[in-house]
Amino acid sequence: MKLIDLSSVQDVDQHADTFLDELCQLLGFDYASYAAANPISGDVRGYANYPEEWKLHYTKRGFHHVDPTLYTSAKSIAPVDWGRFEHDGKFNKVFRDAHDFGISDRGLTVPIRGPYGDCGLLSVTRNCTLSEWDKLKKDVVGDLQISAVHIHDNVMQTGVLTKALSTPALSSREKEILQWVAVGKSQQDIGDILSISHRTVEVHLRSGREKLGALSTPQAVGRAIGLNLIMPG
Amino acid sequence: MGNGMIIIIDELNRHKYASILEDMYKLRARVFQDRLGWEVKVTDGKEIDEFDDLQPTHVVSIDDDGDVVGCMRLLQTTGPHMLADVFYSILEGEPPLRSAQVWEATRFCVDTAKLSGGKTRNSISYVTSEVMIGAFEYAQKAGVLDAVAVIDPVMNRVLKRSGNAPYDYLGNAKPMGKVTAMAALMDCSDERIESVRAFSGIRHDVFATDEDIHARRSARMNRQKAPASKPIGDLHDYFAQQMRDANDAEEVDAVKRLMQAVEEQLSDGGYQPERRHS
Repeated sequence: MKLIDLSSVQDVDQHADTFLDELCQLLGFDYASYAAANPISGDVRGYANYPEEWKLHYTKRGFHHVDPTLYTSAKSIAPVDWGRFEHDGKFNKVFRDAHDFGISDRGLTVPIRGPYGDCGLLSVTRNCTLSEWDKLKKDVVGDLQISAVHIHDNVMQTGVLTKALSTPALSSREKEILQWVAVGKSQQDIGDILSISHRTVEVHLRSGREKLGALSTPQAVGRAIGLNLIMPG
Repeated sequence: MGNGMIIIIDELNRHKYASILEDMYKLRARVFQDRLGWEVKVTDGKEIDEFDDLQPTHVVSIDDDGDVVGCMRLLQTTGPHMLADVFYSILEGEPPLRSAQVWEATRFCVDTAKLSGGKTRNSISYVTSEVMIGAFEYAQKAGVLDAVAVIDPVMNRVLKRSGNAPYDYLGNAKPMGKVTAMAALMDCSDERIESVRAFSGIRHDVFATDEDIHARRSARMNRQKAPASKPIGDLHDYFAQQMRDANDAEEVDAVKRLMQAVEEQLSDGGYQPERRHS
């Protein structure tokens, strides 16, 4: 995916909106937002590319205290379609107003649970028919998972403490595979060299990429070299 | 009415399935403590650990009698999970996989005491296959590509024989109670689902509707209220069949009303529901 790599920027705060804009453009959503609850302070930190007037209204009315896309979605391990929310008072409070601001209740929230009890929530919405929505969801849910973990990990690592705690813990297998990628071997070659299936290569490569906070394999290799986890190819 | 036996229970819908979850924890106690001898904590006959407090998803199989006969617990590998925090000895000092597109499956079991051999609807192999299909399809919908499952060698053999062999293992098998535990990798791909379906002959939608579940559980509860020694005993199979054939909640209620009427007619002291004790 061609998204801005948040692990390569100095200040995630300044680039999070760009990330959400690009995400919407690339995958076909109207709006996207990311929110994370700090497990210690309970503060909600977030970014969104919603219209400014909706953001103001949302904050002024304190919707972040009742918004089911935050509080209900955080309870799931799987992406939560907003269609699953009970249409209770809290739901109506947020979504009736959202409707007035031209924001659809057709949406999906991807929860990412982090190692410290933190939970990040990437939400996307699009005003479209149900059949279009179902097709879109099926096509992009994998990309949404990758995007969600990327923005969550990079936002979480901006704290000085978490940064110190989060030197990527790569397994020997993950390092070994990244090392072979660094010298130019294909996944198929690496499987043959290590006598493992290409699926094993892939699952470790994906895990390695995510641990390094990278979106692509070349980024992951660069970062692993930078951290002295592997040798330059 | 569909034939599927699987329900997905997560934190959003668990209030609807409280008694099923109780039965699931009891099945886990029978399997992991009694049969496999794992050092698990069992309270009131239920095996519940700290990972059940982390709002996991449960894939649960309910058979035609309304009994929980299989289950599996799913957690994200991005946050706390068992391979990272409990079963790390299997990984021999290596850090676990961490990916939003890899889920961890633990407490995977079927009721071997109730289920039979062979490949029929009430066999170990069939229920295992249906739980796996349900889990893979649920994972696919979530954009998840692989699962790492903590299993014992018996389950490993069942998987290998049912068109569902793990494509690799992490670390090495480690002793755990009477048996060993291993971490198996399985892709949540169309190819694997098709392979399991082809082996098991399961072609239907594996997910049960709420009406199915309600009918099976009601029949079960009524059976417990009225054991075979009671007057209604002879009619039990008839009512169970009626429940299974019911098409909607209204028909289920009709069956229940009929059962109650018959029970009242047959028993001397009128209708007196028994307390469930299990």
